[in-house]
This record gives sequence, C-alpha cells and structure tokens, in this order.
Amino acid sequence: MPKSQFIDPVKVRKAGVVKIQDIPVNQYDKSIEDEKVNFSKEQFIDIYHDMALIREFETMLNLIKIKGEYEGIEYNHPGPAHLSIGQESAAVGMAYNLGVEDFIFGSHRSHGEILAKGMSAIHKMDDEALTEVMKNFFDGTILKIVSENHKGDLKSLARRFLVYGTLAEIFARETGFNKGLGGSMHAFFTPFGVYPNNAIVGGSGDIAVGAALFKKVNQKDGIVVANIGDASMACGPVWEGLSFATMDQFEQLWEGAYKGGLPIIFNIMNNQYGMGGQTCGETMGYDVAARIGAGVNRDNMHAERVDGYNPLAVIDAYKRKMELIKDKKGPVLLDVLTYRYSGHSPSDASSYRSKEEIEAWEAQDCIASYAAELEKAGVASVKELEAISTDIKELMKYAMKLAIDEEVSPRMDLVKHPEIIGDMMFSEGSVDKMEDRPVEVNHPMEENPRVQQIAKKERFAFDANGKAFSKIKQYQLRDGLFEAIVDRFYKDPTLVAYGEENRDWGGAFAVYRGLTEALPYNRLFNSPISEASIIGTAIGYAMCGGRVIPEIMYCDFLGRCGDEVFNQLPKWQAMSGNVIKMPVVIRVSVGSKYGAQHSQDWTSLVAHVPGLKVCFPVTPYDAKGLMNAALQGTDPVVFFESQRIYDIGEQFHEGGVPEEYYEIPFGEPDVKKEGKDVTILSIGATLYRALEAAKELEEKYGMTAEVIDARSIVPFNYEPVIESLKKTGRIILTSDANERGSFLKDMAQRLTELAFDELDAPPVVVGSRNWITPAYELEDYFFPTKEWILDAIHEKIVPLKGHTVSNNFTNAENIRRSKLGI
Amino acid sequence: MANAIIMPRQGQSVESCIFTQWYKNVGDEVKTGDILFAYETDKASFEQEAEADGILLAAFCEEGDEIPVLQNIGVIGQAGESIDEFQSGEAVEASSTETVKEEKVEVEAEPVAEVVLKERAEGEKVKISPRAKKLAKAKAVPYASLEGSGPEGRIIVRDVEAYLASTPKTTPLAKEIMKQEDLQPAETGTGLAGTVKASDLTATNPVYSGDFEVKKLPNIRKLIAKAMHASLQNSAQLTHHLGADARQLQALRKKVKATEGAPNITINDMVCFAVIKALKQFPDANAHFLGDSVKYFNKVHLGLAVDTDRGLMVPVIKNADDLSITGLSNQFKEVAESCRAGSIDPELLSSEAASFTVSNLGNYGVEMFTPVINLPQVAILGVNTIVPRPADLGGGVYGFVPYMGLSLTYDHQAIDGGLATRFLKQIAIEIENLTIDF
Repeated sequence: MPKSQFIDPVKVRKAGVVKIQDIPVNQYDKSIEDEKVNFSKEQFIDIYHDMALIREFETMLNLIKIKGEYEGIEYNHPGPAHLSIGQESAAVGMAYNLGVEDFIFGSHRSHGEILAKGMSAIHKMDDEALTEVMKNFFDGTILKIVSENHKGDLKSLARRFLVYGTLAEIFARETGFNKGLGGSMHAFFTPFGVYPNNAIVGGSGDIAVGAALFKKVNQKDGIVVANIGDASMACGPVWEGLSFATMDQFEQLWEGAYKGGLPIIFNIMNNQYGMGGQTCGETMGYDVAARIGAGVNRDNMHAERVDGYNPLAVIDAYKRKMELIKDKKGPVLLDVLTYRYSGHSPSDASSYRSKEEIEAWEAQDCIASYAAELEKAGVASVKELEAISTDIKELMKYAMKLAIDEEVSPRMDLVKHPEIIGDMMFSEGSVDKMEDRPVEVNHPMEENPRVQQIAKKERFAFDANGKAFSKIKQYQLRDGLFEAIVDRFYKDPTLVAYGEENRDWGGAFAVYRGLTEALPYNRLFNSPISEASIIGTAIGYAMCGGRVIPEIMYCDFLGRCGDEVFNQLPKWQAMSGNVIKMPVVIRVSVGSKYGAQHSQDWTSLVAHVPGLKVCFPVTPYDAKGLMNAALQGTDPVVFFESQRIYDIGEQFHEGGVPEEYYEIPFGEPDVKKEGKDVTILSIGATLYRALEAAKELEEKYGMTAEVIDARSIVPFNYEPVIESLKKTGRIILTSDANERGSFLKDMAQRLTELAFDELDAPPVVVGSRNWITPAYELEDYFFPTKEWILDAIHEKIVPLKGHTVSNNFTNAENIRRSKLGI
Repeated sequence: MANAIIMPRQGQSVESCIFTQWYKNVGDEVKTGDILFAYETDKASFEQEAEADGILLAAFCEEGDEIPVLQNIGVIGQAGESIDEFQSGEAVEASSTETVKEEKVEVEAEPVAEVVLKERAEGEKVKISPRAKKLAKAKAVPYASLEGSGPEGRIIVRDVEAYLASTPKTTPLAKEIMKQEDLQPAETGTGLAGTVKASDLTATNPVYSGDFEVKKLPNIRKLIAKAMHASLQNSAQLTHHLGADARQLQALRKKVKATEGAPNITINDMVCFAVIKALKQFPDANAHFLGDSVKYFNKVHLGLAVDTDRGLMVPVIKNADDLSITGLSNQFKEVAESCRAGSIDPELLSSEAASFTVSNLGNYGVEMFTPVINLPQVAILGVNTIVPRPADLGGGVYGFVPYMGLSLTYDHQAIDGGLATRFLKQIAIEIENLTIDF
C-alpha cells in the first residue's frame, strides 16, 4: 500500500473490457533441415544421446521394478520410481539451453530432468570446472568410485558420475547425490543447477519462485525453471507461487537493477494425466494449460503451448523465452505437451486409458521420430545411433552393478553411526552473513528514526526504586525484535523480509516500524496475502543461499502454509544430505481478542514436526537474544511472538536489555523467579499469569514457586527443569495452547520419565480448553489464568489450605471431557 | 536526610523482637546516643540508643508489637521531611534495584502437615508420591501407616517429613537394618537424645541375627493387638481370684450326660448361666465405662471368648438373661461354630455389643490368669480349671473337694474392690447352688 500509487476511482470505475492476447499453441514448424543453421551435427546427436540416456535409465528402473532384473542383473528396489518414459524430449528440450547457473526444480517424476540438466551442464562446462565439481562433492567420494577403470575423456567420466550418482541416490545408497536420504522423488545435484525435486504435487510451484527471488535480489546470473505437472495447476501453492511471481511491484516499485519481472519459467510438464486423472476432459477445465497465463497478468505470462514431443520445438521455445527473461519480462509460463507410456508408478495398471491411446503415442515416439528425422536429414546413420544406444546400455549396466554393490555403494551404517541422520536434522551453523559484500541500505543505522526513538527509551521497566516507567518510556518487546532484525539487515546483504503489511505499515504489530525508511523494496516488501507463497518462496530463497524472514502475522495462518512448514522447510537440510542450509526465520504471532481463528498458540503443531526449531520469547531481553540467535543460525526457526505483550518492558534482566549484540542460545529455559515449593514451567505469554499465581501462592499459602520460562520449545534442555524439580518435587506446566496434544504434555511425560523419583505429584498441564477461542470478554474461561493454576495445584499437587476452587480439575471431569472429546 | 530506625538484629537466629517502649515521643528532639526505645527477645531485654541527630518524625510500632529484625520502626530526621518511603515495613537499602518480582513479603512457610497414623484395611492400596516414597525408604519411614495429606489422600513428601520430625533420630546402622528387615523403630532410643540405635530395634539380636522370619500381621491380629493394648492403656484393671465349689456343677454335668436325649450342656454353659444370674444382682458389673459416665444395661449381653484358628474372637449372645440354660447352650454352640467358620456377623464381635464377657480356659488346665477387659465393658470373668482342694467337709472332716478357679478382672475406674469381690463371690454362690432344667 504505497502512497505513491493513487487508486483513482474515476479510472477504475470506468466501463471497458479486458482484452486477452492470443496464446500460441504448437506453433513451431521447422524441420531438421531448417535447423541445421542452428545446430551442429554433434549437437543434434547430443540431443539424441541425452534422450536415449533417459529412456534407458527409466527402462532399467522399470524392469527392476516389474521383473526384478535388468540385462540379467537381479535387484529388488522396494522404493518409489515414478518414470517418465515418453517424456524425454520435453526434459532434454527444457535443459538444452540452460546454463550451469540456471536452476531447475522438479517433481516426483524428475529422473529425466536430472539427467537432461546434468548432461546439459556437462556439455557446457570445461574440464577444469567439471573436475572441480566432482572433486569437491562429498570429498570426491563419487568421483573415486566412477574413476575406477574409466577409459575415455573427462566428459564421459562426468556422465558416469551423473548416472551413478543419481542411481545410487534412487537406491538409497550413501554414495548417492544426497547420501541416499532424498531417494527417487527428491534427488538433486546443485553443482549442475539441479535443485530439489519435490514429492508433493506442485511443491516446486512456490519454492522455485523463491529461487528466482534470490537471483533477482542478489543480482545473480541465471534463470529458474519450475518443472511442475499439469495436474499441479490445481494446487493452491502453485497459484500462490504464480501470484507472487507476477506481482506488479517488481515492475512498478522496485528500482534500478532490481526493476522488472522475476527470472522464472513455470514449465508445465504436461503429460496430460495427474496420476489416473485426465487433466483435459476430466479433472481440470483449462483445456490447454497455457490458458492459465491469461488469468495471472497482463502478459499472459508469455504463455504458450509447445509440442514437447519434438525436442527442437522445446529448445526453440526456451531460446525465445530466455531472451524475454534477460529483458526482465518474466515470468514465463510454458505448457510443454508430452505423454508418459509408463504408469504413474509401477503399481499403476493404466486402467484409466486405452491401449489404442498408448499405442498411438508410441507410434509417434519422441526419440524414434527424432532419430528418423536425423537419418532422413543425413545427420546421423542408423548405425551411429545404434552405437550410441549400445554404449548407453553398457553405461547403465555398469552404473547398476556399481550402485547395487554393497561394498562400493553401502547404505548409511546406522549401526555404526546410530545418530547419523539425527546429526543432519539441523545444520547448526553460526554465520554472520550468507554472502560477503556490502549491504544495501538507505541510510546509516544511527540515522534511522526508529533507532533514534529507541535510544531514548528505558531499557529496564523499573526505576531505581522499583517503580515502573510509563509504557511509552519502556523499551518494549517489539523494540527488542526490531533491534535484532535491523542489526542483521546491516550485517547480511542477503537478508530479506517480507509478508503481509511488512512495508509502509511497519508490520501489523509495529515491529518493523522504521525498516521501510532503512531498506529498499528489494529487501523489504509486501507480499500477496497468501502464506504458502510467503513460506514457499522463503524456502527457495534459502535453498539458494540467502537468509530470509518471512512473516505470516497470525499463528493461525500456519494452516495456510501447512505443506511449506510441515513438509518442505523442515525436511530439506537432512533430505539433501546436508548440502542445503535453511536459514529461514518465520515470524508468527499468537493473537488474542480476535476469536477462534486468530488466537491460537500452535507451538505444539510445529514442535511435533522434526526439523524445525521453535521458540517463544516473552521478554524484550529474550526476544532480542533469541532473534539474534535465530538470525545467526542456518536452521529453520518458527519464531513465536504474542500480541498480548508486544508492549511489555523488561522486568527480569538486570541492567535492562543490552544495547550491544548478544545471543540467547536456543533450548535454554530461564528461571524468571526462584522458589522452592513448586515449579511452574510456562511457554509464551502465560508466563505473566504464572508469576501472578506465584505471588498469590506466596502471599496466601506460604509457598514459593519457581517460575521457569521455556523460551525455546525445540530444542529444549530439560536439565534446569529437573534441577528445579529436585528442589520442589512438584511441577505445573502452562501455556495458551489448547490442552489436548499440547507440547506441554510431551514435556510432562518426559519429565515424569527423567525425574520420576523427584515427583511428589504428577506433572500437571494447565492449557486452554479444547474449544474454539471465544470472544475477548469470555477469554478468562478459555485461556489459563492465575486462578486455574492455583486450582490445579490445589486439586492435583498439594491441597492449599482454605483454597476454594473455581475450576474443575478433578479426575472425573478429566475423564468426562476426554470421553466427549472436549 | 531522614534516617530509618530499624529493629536491631540480635544474633543469627532471632527473627523478630518484641517492642517494649519508646523513650521519646514523636516530635521530640533526639541526639545521637540518647536512649530511644527498648525491646526484648525471648532471652533478654535491650535498650537502643539513637544513631542520628534530629527529630523523631514517626514511630511505626507500639508496646507489645512483634517486629521482624531489620524492619523500620520509626524515622529520625528534620522537621517537614517526608517519611513516606520508610513506611513500607522494610529496611530501605541505599541503592535498591528491587523489582516487582522480589517483593519481600513475610509469610509463613508452607504449613507443616500433621502426622496422622492410619490403619489400612487388608489389601488397601497405599497412595504415595514417588518422591515421598523415595524419602520414606531412605529414612526407613513406615509410610504405609501414614495418612496422606495430598490429593485423594496421597502421601506426599510433607507427610513423610512431618513423620520424621516427630520421631527420634536413628543411627545409620539402625536405619539400614530397619530398611532391610522392614522393622519399626522403638518409640525412643537408648542413644544420645533418644537416638534409636540398632540394638533398640526389637528384632535385632547379635545371637540369632538373621535367623528369623518377619511376617506381616494378619488383620485380625492387628485388631486384637490394638484392642488389647488399648485396654491395658486406657483402663485401671486388676484381677481378683476366688474358688467355687464345683461339686454341684460336676453333678449336673454327670446328670446331663446320663440323661438320654438331653442337650449337651457343658460346664461352661452352666458357669455362664450362673454368671448371668449374678449379673442381674450386680448391675454395676453389667455396664460400660465411658470416661465421664457409665452405661448400665437392663439386659445381659454376654460375650464369650472363643479360640479360633484366626485368633481370639468374642461373639456376643444378646439378651442372654432371657434364655434358658438349654437356649444359652445352643446359642453358644451356634456362635462359636460360626466364629470358627468365619461366618459370624461382625456386629456380634464388637466389644461394644457385649455388656460382660466370660473367658473360659478351664479346658486347657489353666489354674489362674488375668483376663484383659474388653473395653468399654467394666469387667471380665476368667474361668479356670477345676482342681481338688482340701476342704472342711463339716464335722471336723477334711477332704478334697473340686474347686473351680474364678478370676475377675475389673476396671477400678468403674468398680471398687469391695463390690468386685462381692460380685465374684455371688458368681461362686450361684455356681455352687445352680439348678437347671432340661
């Protein structure tokens, strides 16, 4: 909502029509003869070779899956193999013009794309660069394997490297491209520009946009190709990715070198089926997938349908579209028509299509017809092409034998190294900046109005006599977050922040006030209000080497980016065999006063998913220290904030919040108040209600409570809590998350296990009711209060003399509620 | 600048002092060294001098107040100075950075639980927290007999701590032995300050050491133990012994045996029958002693001690004075049988149900014993075996006469010796002159 853009009612209310330009369909009509000016014989043959390589690779896997052998070599591969037999020309055409610096992202059906893009890179790279890549990858492990008995040039060695690395990955070998942790559907190899393939339909639809954003923001060469299926065009995140990629602001608000469209091609590998569902005629209504471009921006996304059965047609399209992108006219949508003969997977009996249909496509087979054309045009003889096929078959036999050899290609030894996967879940880096170059900012930090305003604030909530300063004078929690974030913006040139209302407004909760002045659009901008695109692009941005703070405002909106938060963000570090780092700090805020869809504490949901760090600081000191730690790290963090306390001052840290940089390590709970009779462990803003309860315990019941603020949820160090339990023997755990399935239950269980003999009563969880959050005026019946905590202590831990309960914490009530599921 | 007057600290352990007197009034001028006020601890009285010049601006306490040490009790300063900041009841520190979380409110610590012992029924689960159990085991506390003060009667740490605070200290060796052998400590030990030593543990003996087996008491044993112990503890009992000429009894018994079809009326039945007759004449013995009152019964509800495999039981025959000797005999047989079979109505076993009890050990050859009263009854008759005793048969002739020993234990709280003797004598008379119909 920049003020520079005036929404003129006269203009926008005027009558008119929207005219949509024509979308070309299969317009390529050149013959090999025509193309001889553009391709050398060698290039023509390379195209044939790359297609044949993919065909044989997929055929090999198909035979292994259905017959358990290939060329007499037996093997059982229980894992997935989504094959693309029939689609080779589309893959090779897509990859042909791409350089090593161009990135492709793919789907579950991307073996062909890996090989095509890999071969494209091998064709283009010189020997020195190739050697460098192979030598450095996993310390030359794969190179050493494929070098043995190798005769021939470096390019043929690199081809071995590519085929073996991919196959070993599919067979889950530690010598695969991703140490066997990615497998068939997730294999990739970044040194050749092959970025993660994604087993979630449309998963690359928003992640690839983030990669393009990275290229743009960091002024990197190259474009990004999102290979997604025709059926994925129905997926929300794909649409969100399209919307994000086509934002007007790239053209209208971004300035200088940053002005212009994102360098990305959405490449619909249109094999005309989504599993068994036929996208044209049954499960979709677009008829021609390229039509979608017309619904997204004024340029139809330069969409066209290309005959993907002709590699030269695809190559031609890429040549033209890459020019457009170079002119910053992106993004582009390509509908590359193709067909797979193989089923969705080997278990697919193709009961949804006729034999005639498959045969008709086979009759026009992309490789056979291309070969026929080559012969007809005198580019290559049948013999020459047969020699290529024979060579490829030998290569496959070689690669297969090697990849199934338990000596050469072992799987991860989890007996010898039981924690090897555990060690990969987090990269645990500590990195000031992801790239070493000057940061782009609008003014020195000390000139920033917010920085100047904060300088006048009281960094501790109370004066020397313990009297609280007025709210306005206090350095607030939002100031702590701001200080950490602005500091990183001035340190790390790759850092970007975006989300809903991040620019101009300063964030819905005023954390970013002042950042708009400090940063250009390309570092801080408003995104579409679509959380999947916000998180999905952040993932792609980080995969490419940038640091990013996506913000989705309310925690409740995590559901809107469920796949991104649960399936993508936490997985890629380990699934890549630690090739990829994921420095993404998602800011989410737990609301109140706004009812059922804006008040939920979902720490438990994200804590449940392995691979995410989760924290929830509730004091300015902790907020700044944990944000610093989050931004210094290389792991994905879901950073919870609470709208109840953005304005709270620092009440605990002696001397107030330090002006200088400091980090609070993840996982360390903090004792906010010492005591000896009962421990209260809180997550989030409930801390302040726990402290009220502690006060009343002391004043009315002569008990001192030790109040511990968890601060982090994942990771979490139980030792300080156990120490406290040794003292008190009793523990209440409380947070605003609804009680059933709350992470507190996990903590309670773990504490019971770790400190059973210390317990004088069962650990008791006081969470919200398992209801919808009612209106603000009724919140005291829903969220834990001081009274709830006291009642729970009285009922479950130690009867408080003279205490009258106002809530029912009895076993009978517990059972009743559980029976009813409330 | 105004200065606080604080309650001085008297040694490490003194928490508070009693304020006794101001020597100055508010508004008076005070000089350093003037005696300002007096106070006392539980051990001594003190006077305090002023430590600053000025005017006594405020006095926050008066005679008899108990003041925590170091707390402000007044202010010395110049006229017109504010005393507000001193009134918090706290000593003000010069460079205080107190925060809200550290409010020093003087409160009692969490109340200490009282020790309540509990008799658990057989098989009743002991609810105890893991922490309490750990502590109880480490300190050899017999937690099963503690009443828990936690939720749902759970024994929690404070209950174990309260128990520990109430029992004598135990030496480590004694503790270890107690733990191993599951023994209970003596009430007071023989060590220093009553410390329980290993030798105080009843079952520990250097000679037989581990040569024994400790068995849990069955519930009935616990009940008997408790009742018997309570009886001896809570009454003033003593026993008179007297003999009764048993010739009549033996004659009657012979007659019973000789009569075809007659009920099997035993010597015991006859004695009881005689006792009932005596009781009708001595209502003071047919009574319950209730401490500040006595309950006299109109009817005789006779308890009869019965030895069973399970232990001693005392079933009662209600309204025994309404029964004929045959009826009484039948009822005795019936209740004794159901006691041995375990089918007796528990109501009939209550010591409250009987107004008097007879315990007959004559069959076993016991010549004399001191039965223990079934409280709240006031007396119990022990019946001994019959022995021949020399007696004056009249006319200067002496011979051996069968005599039955009678041992009456009575509660001297309720009955005096004379009455008891007369009552016992009456029983003997009734026995000697018994006639029965059957």
